[in-house]
Amino acid sequence: MSFPHLHVHSAYSMHYGVTMPEELAEQTAAQGSDFLAVTDRDGLYGAIKHIRACIAAGIRPGLGADLAIHDDEHRPLGRVVVLAHGHTNGRGYAALCRLVSAAHQNGSKKPSVSRERLAFLAGMNSLTVLLGPTSDVGQAIERRDGTEARQRLTAWTRAMPAGSVTLEVICHLAEPGNPGSVTPATRMLSLAENALLPAVLTNAVRYGTPDEALTADIADAARMLTPLAELEDLQTNGQAWLKSGQAMRQVARMVVDAGPREPGAVDQLIRDTEQLAEKCALDGATDIGLGRPRMPEASVIGVTGDPLTELWARGRNGVDERYAGSTLLPDAHRALEHEMRTVEQLGMAGYFLTVAHACDLIRNQGIRIQARGSGVGSVLNYVLHTSSVEPISNGLIWERFLSPERVNLPDIDIDVESAKRHDIYRMLFKEFGSERVTLLSMTNAYRGRGAVRDAGLALGMDDADIKEIAGQMWRFNARQFRQALKQNPELAGLATAVQEDQQLDMLVDLTQRLDRLPRHIAVHPCGVILSDRSLLDRTAVQASGMGLPMSMYDKHDMDPLGLIKLDVLGVRMQSAMAHAVAEHRRLTGETIDLNRVPLDDEPTFELLRSTRTLGVFQLESPGQMELVGKLQPEVFNDLTVEISLFRPGPMQNNMPLQFLQARHGEVAPDYIHERFKPFLQETMGVIVFHEQVMRMFDELTGCGLGKADVLRRRLEKPDELPAIESYVREHANLRGFSDAVVNRAWTVLAGFGAFGFAKAHGAAFALPTYQSAWLKTHHPTVFFAGLLTHDPGMWPKDLILAEARSLGIPILGFDVQTSGLEYRVEETADGIQGIRMALVELNGSSEAERARIAKHQPFDSLQDFRDRVRPKRRTFEALARVGALDSFIGYDRDRRHELLAHIQSLQGSALHIGDDQLALNIELPPLGYEGNRFKAVTSLELRGRTQTDLELRDLNVAVSNHQMSRFHDLFRELGVTPAAKLIDLPGGTDVLIAGVRRATNTPPTRNGIGRVVFLSLDDGSGPVANAVVFGDAQQRIGGKVFRTSYMLIRGKTRRSGARGVSVPVDDMWDLFDVQRKVKARLKAEQRDADAHASAGVHHVEPVAGWHLRAV
Amino acid sequence: MPTIIDKPVTVDFSAGGDPAAFFLDRFEHTIIGQPQAIFTRTRWWEQGSAPKRIDTELWRVDAVKAGLAAGGEEQHRYDLRRDADGTWVLALDWG
Repeated sequence: MSFPHLHVHSAYSMHYGVTMPEELAEQTAAQGSDFLAVTDRDGLYGAIKHIRACIAAGIRPGLGADLAIHDDEHRPLGRVVVLAHGHTNGRGYAALCRLVSAAHQNGSKKPSVSRERLAFLAGMNSLTVLLGPTSDVGQAIERRDGTEARQRLTAWTRAMPAGSVTLEVICHLAEPGNPGSVTPATRMLSLAENALLPAVLTNAVRYGTPDEALTADIADAARMLTPLAELEDLQTNGQAWLKSGQAMRQVARMVVDAGPREPGAVDQLIRDTEQLAEKCALDGATDIGLGRPRMPEASVIGVTGDPLTELWARGRNGVDERYAGSTLLPDAHRALEHEMRTVEQLGMAGYFLTVAHACDLIRNQGIRIQARGSGVGSVLNYVLHTSSVEPISNGLIWERFLSPERVNLPDIDIDVESAKRHDIYRMLFKEFGSERVTLLSMTNAYRGRGAVRDAGLALGMDDADIKEIAGQMWRFNARQFRQALKQNPELAGLATAVQEDQQLDMLVDLTQRLDRLPRHIAVHPCGVILSDRSLLDRTAVQASGMGLPMSMYDKHDMDPLGLIKLDVLGVRMQSAMAHAVAEHRRLTGETIDLNRVPLDDEPTFELLRSTRTLGVFQLESPGQMELVGKLQPEVFNDLTVEISLFRPGPMQNNMPLQFLQARHGEVAPDYIHERFKPFLQETMGVIVFHEQVMRMFDELTGCGLGKADVLRRRLEKPDELPAIESYVREHANLRGFSDAVVNRAWTVLAGFGAFGFAKAHGAAFALPTYQSAWLKTHHPTVFFAGLLTHDPGMWPKDLILAEARSLGIPILGFDVQTSGLEYRVEETADGIQGIRMALVELNGSSEAERARIAKHQPFDSLQDFRDRVRPKRRTFEALARVGALDSFIGYDRDRRHELLAHIQSLQGSALHIGDDQLALNIELPPLGYEGNRFKAVTSLELRGRTQTDLELRDLNVAVSNHQMSRFHDLFRELGVTPAAKLIDLPGGTDVLIAGVRRATNTPPTRNGIGRVVFLSLDDGSGPVANAVVFGDAQQRIGGKVFRTSYMLIRGKTRRSGARGVSVPVDDMWDLFDVQRKVKARLKAEQRDADAHASAGVHHVEPVAGWHLRAV
Repeated sequence: MPTIIDKPVTVDFSAGGDPAAFFLDRFEHTIIGQPQAIFTRTRWWEQGSAPKRIDTELWRVDAVKAGLAAGGEEQHRYDLRRDADGTWVLALDWG
């Protein structure tokens, strides 16, 4: 029996509804109903998912929102449900979007919209408002105040357009005297009868099935941040589920029976409900606009005529400009024509012009920009300067990006300088107009830890206990918490506790229930939606954290809704390179155009082959260093291949090894068939790229590249493989391939599905990789200033400083006279360029303090500094300790004790001196009388500490020296091999290595090997040494593998390739323990030596390579 | 004063799914008028385990013993409880 539910909260009513829209739609269809409205609280977050779920389930969708309303004087009028009318050419849906946006307009955490605004938007028969128990009318009824209820209702009918107000009868069959009981429901029905208004029956649904009522209890506790035991507004009972038609008719009968009614009142109530549902049934295409892409209007992107004509003209001019003098010119024109045919057929000219326009805007601001993703395969994008990678010579394919066979909208991702991302957003809003642009949102769902915390909160568990359990909630799916307790050995303790404690047992259930439910909405890190003027009629918006409006829809909703999403990704390396280029220009007046740097620069490849890739985009991890060493890149394409190989899928399937063996001539490349050789040659017969799969499909079947991409995508779905296989076999045989060849080709294709990579993507990554390597090779000083300022990579800054130092770049100390907010390059007295430490590194200093230092430097005197900067005492002392104030003591480090003592003795607050005033110039330290009174001062904070100790304490980095130089005497004593010398040793050499831990990796390993831990150790001799801890050694060494910061390791060298060396670990010690023991031993030996002066003394032969310990 | 009965009964239903009659001690009791269902929530977290349902189901019905002449046996009000396992219990006779 059918019943149309008009008031339903999905799980996108965060912390309120607990069932996903898809489940609600399926349940509705299974119950024999053909209509379902979703009316989430305060938003349309689940709207598109609901509409699509309904279409998939074969039922009609309705859409609304549950909103707080206020009157002209901002007095609350309770909550109402507002439903959009369907078959209005989108007018109802647009009014709903605008209404929800209006509710969020003031940016408050408690959205509310004025009745006046609601009345305006409900005009022209667009919306229906349901006044139910939570409205001011319903609240009066609940208080048994009939007069008030009638007056309130009159206010509504006066304010709203005729026919837009309906009363909503809800009965959850609660005990008499409680909300949700039959009495207020029947009174509501009477009120409608008396006022001659229609009434509808709803169930104010919060969950699909009665079983989920318990989840709603937890949601209430989480929303109110209150344990269930203390919660005052518990749901009355568990009846707010998506009831069947029969169950709803039962409710109707009970409500009608509870008051004096004419016969037929039940049928009337159901009929009115069905009629309203009829009115609110939305059409996906005409009401919501599904499947119809809408680009910004031509005029907005500076096009006056037909966009297609314009694109043709720009494309042709672009080819002539980009390919001027290139042998590829004719090919490029042909490619352009090929691409333009698809663009024309799909009506996408506006899209290309829009994206190109956005890119032009960004570029014209002098911001570095780089397209990535499949769009890089397009000549059109290249000639429009949307992308910077030349697609033809890189063997990229247009059809990987766009083809008539594709059903989705194309996607172009743009990498920009991370530091400029927000500026870019604001610029796009300004250029396109805020009616055409919004940011994209994303829904964060519950995961294990969050779920266990909120479940624990609901049960009123102790914070510390919850924290303890939450700490163990990882590496398994929280929906399978109970199963994980049985299976995972590391959870054995918790499993026992759960068996013994009922509360913990409930916690497991509750956690499983919460997992994966939407939890909160946040701005997407890079998505911007660009559309035409109608955008705000098709998406509701709310303010994002940065103040710009954000759509309530997420990336999955974009494609169905025909919305163009531009991913503007902030990439720190782009900022780092921009900083380097800017520093170079500041110092020399020369401008480096990185996009015009030749891609065949031999010294750059030499650097890459040497594996000194620390700081190079994508290639600086230990694993990448090892692979680049083995691969020995010679041309740009090698970098594309390298980046594409270094990913979990290929690594786990041993593809790098197959490729390397063929590349270095150890085995012959296997192309399966001569006809595959042209596209498999670049990877020595190993299929690495999507583009190769597409070409193989095309060669085997003659299906064309567009269809080949569709087939490639289907490879990811295991149940589609048989159909694809028979298609391939049928056509391949006709095209002259033997069964043996087809068998082998199919094995490769079928096995590839899971881990391919778009070459377009790899090539787009390879470009900044090459550019950063080029900068490191030719302009290392400015490049390191960029790295230190924007910190783009995986390594700690201390190691980046160490790398710079070992390349011979002087690191200039922290100095309030010259240190800026960013790292800058300075020419030293002897004409060498060095990098000046930036102010940001000072621990505990505030942004305002640093800004004042940068603004007022240089300073005449300490007094001047104090008065203008007004540092906190802590900052002031830290500056003195690290030597940033040495300029006030003539850079005489020995006087730092006096300086610090003086600063500590200062009383009272600093004078406030205006920017245009001169400071009082008092000689400091004020030794005016009694001569050298402070001569003997020794600050305890400085005593016995080296400059490095002080720097590590206050800056977290060692500036003047490598922090490991403290240990170099010890290393000599122990016979530790310097990391830089490991490469000279044959494999299998017993070595001791030591250093500070710089990175710990547990990368994906080939199946069956078990977890391997990679440690990167820095001993100050040059590059990091890579130590490998295999399973047995992990057992032996235990927690030290992850916990020791300074360590000594014994192992044997293992060589891999020309530049690859690592040390599998046999044993490991804490370096400080070793230091203590050696000191004790030396002391004892010294005593022995003194006692037996005549006896022979044992000398440890010093190992070459350790610098003399710095003083 | 209601009388506690607390005996399992079998229940017949109307086409609309409402209880129409119940059998107590071999006597059929015909339900008259619209029965009212009442769902009362539990404080399940105090009971130490997470239940399938968070409320209990009770039907308040008016019934007469079937087969007796009208006016012979007076009409009583009863509470019928449906337990989580689907069994029906005649909980109370309100008189």
